[in-house]
Amino acid sequence: MKLKAFIPLIFCIGFFCAKSASAQISITADTIIQKVTRVMNPAQSKAKMKMTIMTTSKKTRTFVYLAYSANHGEKTLMKYLQPSRVKGQAILMLNNADDIWVYFPRTRRVRKLATHAKKQKMEGSDFSYEDMGVGDAFIDEFSSRLLGEEKKEGQVCYRLELKRKPKSSSGYSKLVMWVDKESFVPLVVDYYHDDDSTLLGKQLVCNDIKVIDKIPTPMQMVMYNKLDRTQTSMEFLEVTYKVELKDDLFTERGMKK
Amino acid sequence: MRKLLCGVSLSLLLITRPSAQEVDIFGYFEPQFSLIYLDDDYYQLQSNKLRVDLKSTLSENVEFGANFNWILYYGKRDWNFLDYVPQKVSSSIPLEREDYQFTYEDRNFLDNAYLRLSFPSFDLMVGKQQISLGTGYAFNPTDVFNFKDLMDPTYEQPGHNALRIDLPLKDGFSLLALYSPESDWEESGKLLRLKGRWGHFDFSVIGTETQWTITDYTYPCYNFIAAYRRRLLGADFVGELLGLGVWAEGAYNFVKESKDFWELVVGGDYTFDSELYLMLEFYHHSLAKSDYHLYDLNDWLGFFYQEQRSLTQNQVYCFVQYPATDLLKIGGSTLISLSDGSIALVPTMLYSFHENIEFTLIGNINIGKDGKAYGKNQGHSLLLRSRIYF
Repeated sequence: MKLKAFIPLIFCIGFFCAKSASAQISITADTIIQKVTRVMNPAQSKAKMKMTIMTTSKKTRTFVYLAYSANHGEKTLMKYLQPSRVKGQAILMLNNADDIWVYFPRTRRVRKLATHAKKQKMEGSDFSYEDMGVGDAFIDEFSSRLLGEEKKEGQVCYRLELKRKPKSSSGYSKLVMWVDKESFVPLVVDYYHDDDSTLLGKQLVCNDIKVIDKIPTPMQMVMYNKLDRTQTSMEFLEVTYKVELKDDLFTERGMKK
Repeated sequence: MRKLLCGVSLSLLLITRPSAQEVDIFGYFEPQFSLIYLDDDYYQLQSNKLRVDLKSTLSENVEFGANFNWILYYGKRDWNFLDYVPQKVSSSIPLEREDYQFTYEDRNFLDNAYLRLSFPSFDLMVGKQQISLGTGYAFNPTDVFNFKDLMDPTYEQPGHNALRIDLPLKDGFSLLALYSPESDWEESGKLLRLKGRWGHFDFSVIGTETQWTITDYTYPCYNFIAAYRRRLLGADFVGELLGLGVWAEGAYNFVKESKDFWELVVGGDYTFDSELYLMLEFYHHSLAKSDYHLYDLNDWLGFFYQEQRSLTQNQVYCFVQYPATDLLKIGGSTLISLSDGSIALVPTMLYSFHENIEFTLIGNINIGKDGKAYGKNQGHSLLLRSRIYF
């Protein structure tokens, strides 16, 4: 009798599980990338970050900066707090880093960089300007393909391949990304060389994922430069997504303040 | 007005002293060593510079900043500009004239001291402050307040007494109004600049009025200084074309009771996949001479005393930099006078010893024919600079 009563319930659970599994399998690469973009680029954010560069000679360089982001990562402003050498220096990236301005407080000069500068290392780190102002770039600059599912960093992940679109200004020919199925955080991203889509240039590994203001956040990201044998880690010291940022912040005036 | 601005700045400095914990103190120490080869002799000049910056954000909308500089010189401090002038020009000057000396005097000075008030619709900045204008890297025709050292164009510029209003307008446009007081309204500097964006391009239109002093060094007993009212109308842009960074900056100068002139800079840059960075800038100065045989004493000394931006009419500035390692950048610049064919090579090296310590090496090799803008007669030099930030 009891078993009979459970039969419809088991049937229902089985039905929903099957439906859910089929939904998971049928998810498209574009949907995954859209979810990744949404997770990695919340509407607004304000963070204090620490960037540690491990040089080829095993020396470390530490930078602390404030990072402001708005319009789902389309606008990014970074202001350096440490070290003294770059204190007050600011980098403004608009249109997913297609427009970059750098403010030098010692000369009070703002310099606009062209998109070729996106490939340049930011403060000698293994992150380029492009890596920092990514915004919708995964959607706009690349066409994605789902390669399957794979376990990475102890999590079941979607494995995706992102190929650069013909008119893209990205400095990477191809990306391979392992996206956590639950949080849609890209746990590992392989960046392939600008001219050679078989040459692995850099690898990003995201660790210590915490949910902050309902948004899964990798508290530490490490970029390994496979060619130079250097690495740069970036850690959130403070972060909030519940913040009101005025448009005025993402201007030349905002950089100088 | 000038005294008033200094007074306001100093008063603010004193006001902020009691709450020293709110004042951010930083700066750098910069020892520098120069080796100069001139007329078959070697000379040495050293300097120690200490710069202390104070910055206090008194409230979200009120900021005070200042910096003090102490510079001490050692070695060969006395120089004569005539040593750099071709013999045929220097030999023509009156015998009585021996005052083209230049001495590196020890200096202690307040370079910047300003107050910035941010209102919802504009920013007001008053006091001694840096003014930086234009999109050019080595040359800025629209910047009548500063002269860049072509061996090191990114070195910080001195502060100027000014009252400045930055007014953001709609759609990314902004208006800058600046008044730099001198002894009277006529002599004071005035500036209006409208800046905007169009696509991936930034552009601005600028108008200034300043007093321009030109010295005649050929008088038998003294320097005759003439002051002219100079009105400048200029424009600049920076953006991207076919994957290259491009910029241009031009200015037409209306000089009352003297010759009008114009200056133009056109430049471009590119970063290769190897991270090799290359920049080229062309500069034209209509008042400068195109034939080096015509360079006279006033041309040479006007250039050395920074009254005129260029000795030669057309020149190219080429800059290249490559990160040899993650801590070492090598490269340099080349100055080529298209008018007289002379060339100056400026090899540079930047080494990051520590995150707050960097070493810079700047060479200067003039390989042009004597008498030309970058002639061998101007000697060669090597500068080693270390900078320790705190």
